[in-house]
Amino acid sequence: MSNAEFIAPTNGNPVLIEPVDWQQRVPEGWEWQSLWEAVEVGNHIYTDEFVRKAIDAEIDPRVILDDGLFPGFNLQGDRFSAQVIFIPEMLITARAMKAGLALIRPLLAAMAEKPVGTFVMGTVLGDMHDIGQSIVTIMLENAGFNVINLGTDIHPDKFIETAEKEKADLVGFSALLSTTVYYQKVTIDEFEKAGHRDKVKILIGGAPTTQDWADECGADGWGRDAVQAVKLALEKMKEPRTAWN
Amino acid sequence: MKELLPRERFERAVRREPVDRVPVLYRMKSEAKQKLARIYGIDDASTGVKHNPELELRLGNDAIIYQIGINAQFSHRPIPIGETWSNHFHVGYGKSGLQGRTEDEEEEFRGTQDFWGPAKVVPENFPNFHPITSMEDLKNYKWPDPNDPELLEPIKDLCAKYQQDYFIIVDLSSTLIEAAYAHLVGTQNFFLMLFDQPELIHGVLDGLTDYYTEVGKNAIRLGVDMIRVGDDVGAQQSMMLSPEQWRELAKPRFKHMFTEFRKENSDLYIKLHSCGDYSPIIGDEIELGVDLSGLMQPTGGNLDQVGIKKKYGSDISLIGGLCVQRLLPRGQVEDVRKGVHDVIKNLGTGGGYIFSPAHYILADVPVQNIYTMIEAQREFGVYGKYPLN
Repeated sequence: MSNAEFIAPTNGNPVLIEPVDWQQRVPEGWEWQSLWEAVEVGNHIYTDEFVRKAIDAEIDPRVILDDGLFPGFNLQGDRFSAQVIFIPEMLITARAMKAGLALIRPLLAAMAEKPVGTFVMGTVLGDMHDIGQSIVTIMLENAGFNVINLGTDIHPDKFIETAEKEKADLVGFSALLSTTVYYQKVTIDEFEKAGHRDKVKILIGGAPTTQDWADECGADGWGRDAVQAVKLALEKMKEPRTAWN
Repeated sequence: MKELLPRERFERAVRREPVDRVPVLYRMKSEAKQKLARIYGIDDASTGVKHNPELELRLGNDAIIYQIGINAQFSHRPIPIGETWSNHFHVGYGKSGLQGRTEDEEEEFRGTQDFWGPAKVVPENFPNFHPITSMEDLKNYKWPDPNDPELLEPIKDLCAKYQQDYFIIVDLSSTLIEAAYAHLVGTQNFFLMLFDQPELIHGVLDGLTDYYTEVGKNAIRLGVDMIRVGDDVGAQQSMMLSPEQWRELAKPRFKHMFTEFRKENSDLYIKLHSCGDYSPIIGDEIELGVDLSGLMQPTGGNLDQVGIKKKYGSDISLIGGLCVQRLLPRGQVEDVRKGVHDVIKNLGTGGGYIFSPAHYILADVPVQNIYTMIEAQREFGVYGKYPLN
């Protein structure tokens, strides 16, 4: 048995990727650059104001999200993975993103925009840590998931009850301590006992977790960091599951 | 080499001088300590402020470590579910977890404490009230008394009783950034306020620096051998904040603290601790005059033990390195044996190393793994013999 796995950060300094032909989806003379930068540096006040302006200008909410908010956020996500930026910078970018999303989400819902999938997220019983899973939640929301975040210290029954009610596609368990990580397995076993194991894909994450542990506890996947977690969630959505009735 | 006294062995390793064998420093949380104490027939397995070092000395510790910092007590004391206990910094602590735990589950949980396997889930105490969340709070905040005899008296007793044979360390953790984010301000608050209200963060860090400088000087006057400052800034794959930001926030304050400490005793040894991956700042620790760096949790950049030893080993001594997240609680005995062998070979070669798990031994470590670790350390930790020949 080896020590925790270490995957070296990707090298290089990520750069902002401009959405292709974004000019064609906005009124003449419109610019997104200042919003990209506001999200990048985590200016939530400017982000809020600018997104309001975009809504007033009747730009499609999906376009505001994809062309306006995502570029700065993705840039910081890539930098975080590459260890160019760290938790403080990622947190303020996430906060700015959240400010923008809060304005757009009701509009997307009104357009009956279907979420990519429904994700029930929480930190397992006995564990109070939530910084990591909060960041993953925001990133999943950005990727179009409907995320129900139950918070910390979540009893297996609560996960099951919520997954049933929301007809969840994916469920995610976070744990920070070696003494609480065991509850990831307990909670997975409870899904099995409840007869729901094949209806959801279960993902785990958190400091003491590894791919080995994911295999051992019977999870469907392990997210090394927030960026990987989102990629994994999108992949798992493609795999077959038994339907909720 | 003739057998050294524990304090000589520890001091020489800190000075990177030849020793007979690798010194050790085991630390345990109370559940693990009680489990082991029963086996060794030791009645008093107290941790925290009432720390009784007898068990640790039986296991082979060469030093005695005594905590007086902000986190000295909360993690060791029983706090009933649903209740809050406040420490001398006015930080509130409560029991995590157990939300909705049934009586049957509670019974099952207690059962796991008694047998030889790992305890399954142990609810830990966590801060649940942070006293400083605004400038107003900071202005009205009453810092604890650095001359508090309750903190200082036990150090006198420990020195009188043990210092002839053992190396005495006083632990001021959490000292700076961790004390601010985990205890006084709250983690999310701390990181957001770095941008929103940097003056608040700087004020808190200045207050901590002043307080700990005074407390540390008091401990030094009592004759302790080493001051340990603990400040968790490492995460699993990298540091929590950028090395540059650490250099701005923490380094000058530590520099001030250490300069003041060494005015009291120029021969004082200093240990700096961080959990997680702090490999990017080991060079800075050397610049600060730190003698001993740990606990080398094998994660992120810290995994390259051979590389770190090669790069920094002639300028700073190292402690720790044995994985407590996976290996010690979940490994089979042969894994633990190999793990101890590897870490001693990686970090102990050439001296300047103290063996220790990369953190406390927690309740989830099976007794047979603790035994295996101790046995393997005794076998592999002798200079002149494999793998240290």
